[in-house]
Amino acid sequence: MSLSSYASRTRYRLGGGIAFVVAVLLALVALDVPLRAILTVGFAERSLRAASPIALAAVGGLYAEKSGVFNIGLEGFMIFGAVTTAAMAFVLGGDSPGQPDLWVGIVGAVVFCTLLSVVFATLLVRFRGNQIVAGLAVWFIGLGFGPFIAVLLWGNRNSPGLVSVRQVSIPVLSEIPVLGPVLFETSPLVWLALLVAVAAWVVLFRTKYGYWLQAAGENPEALDTAGIDVARVRFAAVVFSGALAGLGGAVLFAHAGSFNGTGDTMVNGRGWIAIVAYLFGNYNPLGAAGAAVLFGGLENLQIQFQTAGIAFPNKLMDLFPYVAVIAVLTVWGSTRMPSAVGEPYESED
Amino acid sequence: MSDADSGRVRDRLDALAERALDMTVVERFALAVASTALALFIGLLVVAASGYDPVAFLGYIFEGSFGDSNATARTLKFGTLAILTGVAVAIAFRAGVFNIGVQGQFVVGGFVTVVTILWLAPLLPESAVGGVALMLLGTGAGVLAGGAYAAFPGVLKAYAGANEIITTIMLNFIAVGAVGYLVEGPFRGEGNRAPNTARLPEYVSLPQVVFDSPDFSLVGFGVALVVVVGVAVVMARTRFGYDMVTSGYQLSAAAYSGVDAKRTVVSTMTFSGMVAGVAGAVFAIMVQGYYSDPGGIATYGFDAIAVSLLAANNPLGVVPAGLLFGGLDSAGTHIGINSDVPVQLIDGIIGLVVLFVAIPELFRMAARRTGLGGESR
Amino acid sequence: MTPDAQPPAVELRGITKRFGDVVANDGVDFTLERGTVHALLGENGSGKTTLMSVLYGLYEKDAGTVVVDGEPREFDSPRDAMAAGVGMIHQHFQLVEPMTVLQNVVLGHEPTERGLVDESTARADVTDICRRYDFDVDDRLDEKVRDLDLGARQRVEIVKSLYRGAEVVVLDEPTAVLTPQEVDRLFDVMEELTAAGRSLIFITHKLDEALTAADHVTVLRDGEAIDTVDADATTEQELARMMVGREIVTERRPRSTDPGRPMLTVEDLHVVGDRGREQVRGVEFTVREGEILGIAGVQGNGQSELVEAITGLRSVASGTVTFDDRDITRMGRRGRIEAGVAYIPEDRQTEGLVQEYDLVKNALLGNQTVEPFVDGRFVDWASVRSHAESIVEEYDVQPPTADARAGSLSGGNQQKFIVGREIEHDPDVMVAAHPTRGVDIGSIEFIHDRLAALRDAGLAIVFVSSKLEEIRALSDRIAVMYEGEFVETVDPDGVTDEDLGLLMAGRRPDGLDAESDGSALEEEGVES
Repeated sequence: MSLSSYASRTRYRLGGGIAFVVAVLLALVALDVPLRAILTVGFAERSLRAASPIALAAVGGLYAEKSGVFNIGLEGFMIFGAVTTAAMAFVLGGDSPGQPDLWVGIVGAVVFCTLLSVVFATLLVRFRGNQIVAGLAVWFIGLGFGPFIAVLLWGNRNSPGLVSVRQVSIPVLSEIPVLGPVLFETSPLVWLALLVAVAAWVVLFRTKYGYWLQAAGENPEALDTAGIDVARVRFAAVVFSGALAGLGGAVLFAHAGSFNGTGDTMVNGRGWIAIVAYLFGNYNPLGAAGAAVLFGGLENLQIQFQTAGIAFPNKLMDLFPYVAVIAVLTVWGSTRMPSAVGEPYESED
Repeated sequence: MSDADSGRVRDRLDALAERALDMTVVERFALAVASTALALFIGLLVVAASGYDPVAFLGYIFEGSFGDSNATARTLKFGTLAILTGVAVAIAFRAGVFNIGVQGQFVVGGFVTVVTILWLAPLLPESAVGGVALMLLGTGAGVLAGGAYAAFPGVLKAYAGANEIITTIMLNFIAVGAVGYLVEGPFRGEGNRAPNTARLPEYVSLPQVVFDSPDFSLVGFGVALVVVVGVAVVMARTRFGYDMVTSGYQLSAAAYSGVDAKRTVVSTMTFSGMVAGVAGAVFAIMVQGYYSDPGGIATYGFDAIAVSLLAANNPLGVVPAGLLFGGLDSAGTHIGINSDVPVQLIDGIIGLVVLFVAIPELFRMAARRTGLGGESR
Repeated sequence: MTPDAQPPAVELRGITKRFGDVVANDGVDFTLERGTVHALLGENGSGKTTLMSVLYGLYEKDAGTVVVDGEPREFDSPRDAMAAGVGMIHQHFQLVEPMTVLQNVVLGHEPTERGLVDESTARADVTDICRRYDFDVDDRLDEKVRDLDLGARQRVEIVKSLYRGAEVVVLDEPTAVLTPQEVDRLFDVMEELTAAGRSLIFITHKLDEALTAADHVTVLRDGEAIDTVDADATTEQELARMMVGREIVTERRPRSTDPGRPMLTVEDLHVVGDRGREQVRGVEFTVREGEILGIAGVQGNGQSELVEAITGLRSVASGTVTFDDRDITRMGRRGRIEAGVAYIPEDRQTEGLVQEYDLVKNALLGNQTVEPFVDGRFVDWASVRSHAESIVEEYDVQPPTADARAGSLSGGNQQKFIVGREIEHDPDVMVAAHPTRGVDIGSIEFIHDRLAALRDAGLAIVFVSSKLEEIRALSDRIAVMYEGEFVETVDPDGVTDEDLGLLMAGRRPDGLDAESDGSALEEEGVES
C-alpha cells in the first residue's frame, strides 16, 4: 500500500462520514423535518457530553491495540469505573454527595481501574493469555460485580440519585452565540476528554513513547532489538487503556448522576462503541474522538426526534455505528490493524 | 530461504504447539478444575467480605448444580446450550477463523425458528406429528439463518479482507438490536405487553423424558450430543473437515494441497453458524417457547468461546466443558432464588472462570513452582 | 594509534552450540580484523547463522569465549551486543513498516527535547551518517518503510545500526533479496564502511560474492570451521572444495534419449509477485515427456512465481499454461493436482508438510480427492495410513514410522517423504523446486536418482535449483532465468560454468548460441 493510497483512504473515510451527515441533513430537509427543532444548541452540548466517555475509552483502547494488545474488555472497565465512582461518592457523601465527593470518586475510580488493569495486563502480557477471551471475561466480570456492588450498597441494582458534575461556565467566552454555550458552558469533563484526546495524539505521534508503542504493535522484534522491552511497553499501554476506560465510566456516571445496573448496565455497549470509534478514526486519537462525537450525537438524536415529533425506532438507530464499521471495513478496504495485534511476543532471551 | 529462515519457522511452530495444542487431556481437565476452583475461591472471599456465609454459599452452588433432579435438569439445560454454542465456536477456531459472532448467529437462528414455526403453524395439522414437522422445519430455517448470518462475515473476510473478529462482534450487536426491534414491533405477539413474539403452539415442544421440567427435555440434550458427534465425524473423517483443520494449522500447506482458502473461510463460517443456529432453535423451542428481546437473553455465544477454548477446540471435549458452564449457570439460578447473596455474584464468578481459562500459562507456572506435575510434557 | 596496536574487532574462541543432540557449532574459532570484511561461507545448515546468533546474544553458547574489542563478553540479548557495538542485519528486516525511515532509524535511541522527539537533531544526525557513507536514503527520510523496495530497506537497516553506534556489523545473507544492481551497491557500501574503520561479517553461501566482497573467508562445514583464507589467495574451486568436503564431481547422468510429445507448454507468461512487481516477464518453454528442464538462476529472479503459476498457486497476469493440450491457465491448484501436475514445493516447512500432523495425515495432503484415500466425502484413514507407511518404507524416511510428527523429522527426511508422496501421485508433470535444499548429501543423491528415474519413466519434469552442479548433472536442457526472463536455454553438456554464471548475471557470453533442440554444440563452432 502506498503512502498516497493510505492518505486517500483516510480522506475517503472522513469524506464518507461528512457525506453521511450531509445526506442525513438533506434527507431531513427533503422530508420537511423541522431541523431547527432538532439541531439545537442543547443537542450539540448533550452530544459532546455523551461523546466524552466514549472518546476516553476509545483513546485507551486505541493505545492498547497500537501496542499489539486488543483490549476487548473496555466495556467491563467502564462498568467498574461507573460503579466505583458512584460507590465512593455514596460512601463519602451519603445520600447527597457534594462535588468534592464526586471528584474524589472519579479519581478513586481511575485508581481502582488502574489496579484492575495491572492485573489484566499481567495476565495478558506476562502470562500470554488469550486476549479475546480474557477481554470478554472482563466484561462478564464487570456485568456481574458492578450490579453486585450496587445491590450490596443500595439493595438494588440501581443507585438512588446521587450527584452529577456541575456545569462550568466561562465568563465572556460563554457569551459567544452557539459556540459559547456548547463549548464554554458545559461539563468540565468534556474539556477533560478533549484534552486527553489531544494529549494522546501528541504522545503517540510526537514522542518516543509513541514510537515505541507503534513499533510494539507492528514489529515487536524491531523494538526489542532497539533495546526497548516490548512487554513493558505493552503492559503500560494496557494499563493505560484500562485506566482511561475506567475514567470513561466515571465520566458517564458523573454526567448521569446515578448508577444504573439493570440489563447491560448504564454503560450499555459504550465500551464496544469505543472500539468502533477508534476503528472509525483509523487509530488516530483525534479521529477516534471525532467518531465519538458522531456516535454521541446519534445517541441524542433520538430525543431530538421525539421533541420534533418524529418516530424512528430507537433500536435501529442504535445499530448505526456497528453497520458503519462493517461498511468501512468492507468498502474502503480493511482498516489496517497493527500487524502484531493478538500475538504474544517473547523476547529471545 | 536459508537455514535461518526455516529455523525461525520451526521455532514459531514449536512455540505454537507448545502453547496451545499439546496439552494432555489430564492437563486440560486440571486447568478446568483449577480455573473453576480459583474463581470460586475469589467468589467466596467476596461473599465473606460482604458479610455473608461463604460455606453456605458453597453449599448452594453444589446444591444448585447437581443437588436434586431439578438442579440436574437445569444444569443439563444450560449445558445443552453451552455445548451447542461451544461446538459452533470450536469448528471455526479449529479452522483458524475467529468467529466471535456465535451469539448473533444463535439469536438470528432462534428468532427465525420461532417466526417460521408461527408462520407455518396454521398450514399444518394441530397434532403431535404436526408439531414434530413444525419443529423440524423451524429448526431447519433457524440453521439456514444462522449459517447465512455467519457466511456474511466469512465472505467479507475472504473477499474484502475485513477482519472477522471485528465484523462478527459488530454483527452480534446488529443481531441483538435488529431482532430486538422486530420482536418489539412487527413481530410482537398480539396483545403482548412485553416485547415478545406470540407463543409457539402447545404441541410444538420437546417431550419430557426423564426430568419434569418445563424448559428442559432430554431430547434437546440428545440433539446436542448428536451434533457433537456429527461435528466430530466431519472434522476427523471427511475431506471437508481435513481441509478446514489443515487450513487452521497451516494455511500455506492447505493452499499447496489444493484447498481454496477463501472458499474454506466461507464454508467454515457457514458450518459454524449453522451449529449456532441449532443452538438458537433448541433455545427457542425447548427453553423459551417464544422469542423475547435478545438483549435479555444470556450470553451463551460468548461463554461458548471459553467452553471451546477449555476443550482445546475439540468437539468431543466441548461436552464436559459445556456441562461445567451449565452447572455454574444453574447454580446461579438456584442462588438467585434461595439465597440472600446477590445473584450477580455468580455472573462475576463465571466471568472469572472465563478469565482463568484464557490464561493456562498462569496455572502451568503455578504447577511448575509447586512441583505438581508441571513437567508432564 | 596504529591499527596493529588494536585488538581484533571480534574474536570467537572455541564456540560450541548444541540444539538437543545436534551440534550446530563445534569449537569454532573466528577472528574479525578491524576495518575488514570477513566472509562466513558455508552451505545452508553449516552453522553460519547459529555462530552469528551466538555473537549477537540471540543464542546462549554451550562453550567458548566471545571477545569484542579485546574484552571477553557475555551477551544475554541483542541489546547487550548492541551496547558493545555489535549490530546484525537479519534477512527479515527489523523495520516498522508504517513508520518513516527517520523514525525507524532512531527507534529506541530517539533524541528528545522537552519530552518530544527532536526531529531536527535526529534528521541532522541521520543525514550526516548517510552523507558520510554515501547512502541514498537521506532524501527519503520521511517516506514510510513500507513504500521502499528491499534494497532501500536494507540500507535503512545498515544506517540504523550505524546510528546505534555499531562498530561491527553482521550481514546475514544480505544479497539473497537483492537484484544484481543492488548487490553491487551493497558491496560499494561495504567498502565505504570498512574504509571508515568499521568491521563487517558477511554471511553467504555464494562463492563469488565471498571472493568479491571479503578480505578474509572462513568456511564452515557441519558446524566446524574448516579454514580461514585470504580472499586474494584462494579460488572458487578451493572454497567449494572446503564447503562440500570433496571435489565436486559433476556426475553427469545419462541424458534423455527420446523426449516424447510436449506435456507442459508455457507461452508468453507474465506473473506479478507479492509486492506488486512483475516477477515473470514473458517466459516461454515446452517440456516433453521423458525430459528434465532445469531452471537455473539466482534466487529471487522470478523462479518462485513461475513455479507457483505453473502449479496453480498464483494467478497469471497474461499468457497461457498448457498441459497435455489442455489450457490450464485459469485452473485452480486442485484441478491441476487432479490433472496430474505434482509439485515438490520450495518451502517444505510451510507448504509441503503440516508440521503438527503425523505422516499419516500428511500423506493425505494433496490427495484429498484421490481414491482410495477419499471415497466421496469421507476419508479412509486405513488406506491413507498404509499409503503413508509404504512411502516411509520405500523412500527410506527416518524414523521409519508413519506416526512421527512431521515437524520432528530432519530436513532430509521431510523432503524424502514429500518427494515420495508427490511421485506416488502418479503424475504426468513433476515440478520440483529446490528439492535438495538443506538436505544431507545422502538424501540429495537419493532424490536425484528418483527424479532421473521419473524422467526415464516418461514424465516431464521442471527442475528449479540455484545449485549449478545439480542443475548440470540432472537437466536435459537448462533455462537460465534472470529478472523474470529466460536469458537463454542451453545444453548442459555444451556450456561451461563460467558461461552459466554470466547468464545467471543476465549477460550473454560471446559465442554462445541459443539452443533449440540440443544442437548447440555443433552450431557453436559455426557461429564463432
